[in-house]
Amino acid sequence: MPASWRSVPAAMLLAAVTACGVVAGPQQAAGRSGSISVSLQTVPIVRSVTISPSHASFVDCRGGDGGVNTRSAGDKLGFPNGTCQVSTAIVITNSGIASDIDISGSDAVPADGMTGWTLCNSGGSPAVACTGRHDRPGPDQYEVVNFGTFGSLHRGITDRPRCDRILGPEGSCWATQGMVVIEGLRLIGPEWSSDVSTNWTVTITWTPVPGPEH
Amino acid sequence: MHLRLWLALPFSALMLLAWPAASYASVGVGVQAGPVRLAGSAHPGGQYALPPVYVVNTGTQPEAVAIAIERISPGTGKTVPPSWIEVSSAPVRLTHEQSARIPLSLTIPVHAAPGRYFSDVVAKGTAPLPAGGANLGVAAATDLEFTVVPGAVATGSAGVPGWLLPYVTAVIVAAAAAVVIRRTGIRVRIEHGPVRARAGGRRDDAG
Repeated sequence: MPASWRSVPAAMLLAAVTACGVVAGPQQAAGRSGSISVSLQTVPIVRSVTISPSHASFVDCRGGDGGVNTRSAGDKLGFPNGTCQVSTAIVITNSGIASDIDISGSDAVPADGMTGWTLCNSGGSPAVACTGRHDRPGPDQYEVVNFGTFGSLHRGITDRPRCDRILGPEGSCWATQGMVVIEGLRLIGPEWSSDVSTNWTVTITWTPVPGPEH
Repeated sequence: MHLRLWLALPFSALMLLAWPAASYASVGVGVQAGPVRLAGSAHPGGQYALPPVYVVNTGTQPEAVAIAIERISPGTGKTVPPSWIEVSSAPVRLTHEQSARIPLSLTIPVHAAPGRYFSDVVAKGTAPLPAGGANLGVAAATDLEFTVVPGAVATGSAGVPGWLLPYVTAVIVAAAAAVVIRRTGIRVRIEHGPVRARAGGRRDDAG
């Protein structure tokens, strides 16, 4: 028998031993611990809101006193108590987990940075009462009312975040993930203004907050 | 049929108004949904690092996100005075879908009342907006919770205040020395009386 033939059984034995080693490799010796890594994915747990657009103009202004040349005109608010509406629909998207969505407003800031207008509320138990006639904004006060598919927030927005009760049906501000709501804003101006600026800025903010049961 | 038309008309008008808005750039802010909670209890006079709060820009426009402490969501407990929370960084500038973790630290005044405290960590979009008209802003809130219990601040080891550590160490060393001396049988006598010169004293003592 040639020498090369004699080496075949030895090679087969070596291969068998090696194969056994491969099979036995993952097994743990008695008394030793083993571990396994398994990846896991979770749903996003972020509370967020997205608003579009980020800026709007006030248009369609009405009211005021034509007798003293302070009647509203186009995109210019008149006195006393002229009203304007935002130029576009505001799209509010709950881009996070289900949450209550609050709404709040800021003081109106004049371009000269001097005396602003304070947000006020009409109706019972107001955060800041409107001091003008017929529950309307008084001097250096203004009111913002938001409206949408489910009605309008009659008493007006406050400077503290409060449940945006026109977001859902029956006065609910609960928004689930991906929910899109369209709102508009109506501004009621002051009885008169201490500041003579003709350019004013107001900021309305939507804030998702943990709900009462979460 | 007439009823359906009446319902459809206002809705269609709203949709037409919304159409251009949907194509505008958007602003958005997100915050972690899980509460910011101090592990363990806090003590009056103590200073603690709170877990950093996760914030994200969910809008298409760049945003500067600032942190404020306000109580706006329902919950029980005393309101956290905002002055107790220090935010370690200025407003964070974030691009679309960019996120950051903002460190917070809690300082409890010495005379703080014990009990459960509750407020919200509010992430606010603060990017400068054009003057005039209506700026539409975003924010997002998550709970802030911790408990203050009476007692000294555990700043040292084993709950011992830092200022007391040298004294405690000295007492422990003295006690250990006493035990060692007692076990070795060495007797230490402390005598009170006039000091006398020893016979084999230094030469200059004699002179």
